Amino acid sequence: MPWFLHLALRQLFPPGKRFPAFATVSILGVGLGVASLLIVQTVMNGFGEEHRLRIRESFGDCQVTGGVPIEQPEALAKQLAASPEVASAALYAEGPALARNGDFSGIAQVRGIDPTDPGQPARKYVYGGSFDELDDGRIILGAGLARALRVRVGDRIEIWSPAMAERAEKGKAPLPAEFEVCAVIVTGFTEVDNAAALISLRRFREIWNLGPRAHGLTLRLKEPALAEATAGRLAVGHPELRFRPWQDIKKDFLAAIRFEKTMLFFLMFIITLVASFSIGSTLFSAVIRRSREVGVLAALGAARWQVVVLFGLQGLLIGALGTLLGFVLTWTILAFRDGILGTINRLFGSGDMVANIYQFSKVPLHYDASDFFIAAAFTLLTTAIAGLVPALWAAGRKPSEAMRDA
Amino acid sequence: MPDVVLQARGLTKAFASPAGRLPVLTDVSLEVFAGESISIRGSSGSGKTTLLQQLGGLDQPDSGEVRILAPGAGLVAPRSSLGRGVGFVFQNYQLMPELTALENVALAARIAGVPALSATAAARSLLTQVGLGARLEHLPAKLSGGECQRVAIARAMVNRPSVILADEPTGNLDERTGAEVMDLLLGVVAERGTALILVTHSREFAERANRRFVLSGGVLSPA
Repeated sequence: MPWFLHLALRQLFPPGKRFPAFATVSILGVGLGVASLLIVQTVMNGFGEEHRLRIRESFGDCQVTGGVPIEQPEALAKQLAASPEVASAALYAEGPALARNGDFSGIAQVRGIDPTDPGQPARKYVYGGSFDELDDGRIILGAGLARALRVRVGDRIEIWSPAMAERAEKGKAPLPAEFEVCAVIVTGFTEVDNAAALISLRRFREIWNLGPRAHGLTLRLKEPALAEATAGRLAVGHPELRFRPWQDIKKDFLAAIRFEKTMLFFLMFIITLVASFSIGSTLFSAVIRRSREVGVLAALGAARWQVVVLFGLQGLLIGALGTLLGFVLTWTILAFRDGILGTINRLFGSGDMVANIYQFSKVPLHYDASDFFIAAAFTLLTTAIAGLVPALWAAGRKPSEAMRDA
Repeated sequence: MPDVVLQARGLTKAFASPAGRLPVLTDVSLEVFAGESISIRGSSGSGKTTLLQQLGGLDQPDSGEVRILAPGAGLVAPRSSLGRGVGFVFQNYQLMPELTALENVALAARIAGVPALSATAAARSLLTQVGLGARLEHLPAKLSGGECQRVAIARAMVNRPSVILADEPTGNLDERTGAEVMDLLLGVVAERGTALILVTHSREFAERANRRFVLSGGVLSPA
């Protein structure tokens, strides 16, 4: 080990002191700064990822719609599914309806789907009952809607569609469509859980008087990340249809998430910067306090660059250990995030803030190695500079002056 | 005739003061030979420490030049011989407070480029020689003033310099300990054939040197 590294370690961690004040406070400061930065970034990544996944699962990788319901959707689905870039194409129809169970009612966002489609994303979110039991007489409800209607799997509900109102206007007595609840889904996406109602497409067409038409197609792509380019290619030859990649469906929303993440990065980076400045000023006073030692090192033959490295290393070591501590703190805090959030909710809020505001039942996470790399690089750079400035000052002094001034 | 280990010619140094330039050293010349000891006495503020700093390369004279014998390099400028050609012993010991006695001595060798193991072995041997074999792992805070100065002497000697510059080495010690340290310093340099330039207030210690000088009014003259 070079002597200056040995001395830097000893000056930071003098023997006999378990928690030397300067090193402990500085490392803790950097660690907290790094942890704040990474926690915010990781949670923001989680929100972004979760939203992207939900958007894809709700709307498909690419959504095909027209100005009016699509006339021959099966043929179109067959044609699009033949494309090498498309994994599957499924018809859908959707519309709002009144759901009722005796004295309890709610607005349902009813979606007609193909119950035999093995790729239906709702299969993953079944909480009670069975997706496979979905047929023309059965319905799957979001957990929030089921709660509002006070129904469980096996109970029956009525669905009143706008088409029934049209029928009433024409003087015909409309009858509600009756369904047995065969499953309840919990996606964690509150907007979906509080309104979703899935029925078979055939029954939807019947209730909505849609005939053989469908409102659109959802495409699953082999490369979802390339949906924008793929949608452009698939749209060729279909001027009457609109091909919307998932990135476009909630474009502003996704852009807002990205912007929010960037802004938070800069805000949190300022925290790390402040910590680095405080290290700089503390190191400066430490260097002044050690002026005599700087002179002695020169008298012992230490080169100026070695004095620079000695004090620069102390800044760098604080940065490295602080970054490491920040990583550990990040992982620890995020591992207990739901407990921590629950406590915050109990102390300062009412109910589940994440579910109510952000539409997730849990705080989502997504660890991104590049965030950790950037945080470490920025922190090491700023702490190294913070250590280097006083180091250059110390090394630039005459040994005789350094020894006299101390 | 022994080799010249330190050669100073026409050293002049003045400091700025409100009353103008204040001369501290005026045309000081000195030649020191291997193995001899020289004492320099003078009243407080006479420039003894300034002279020592010019001789040791810790400061630059306004004019004149200093050459020191560095092992394997001949007579060189003091700045480039620091740690190898010249060793310092200071009044306040100037040990690194976070390093043990052994590490303090080994540090000087490490800075001079000696590998860690050899540096530690040399430091251990020297500390044993100055009577601190049982205090190797003690921090300076746990050592007495006399013991700290012994560590400082060992540190100054560890690279086998051609000359030791000692600035009031007994100034912080009581009479008895001061005498012991002086005995040790003179003994060690004599044993190793190292030249010694001793700056001191003490007439008694100054008398023990081979040659004696007085610095007064910036002029160095034989006592």
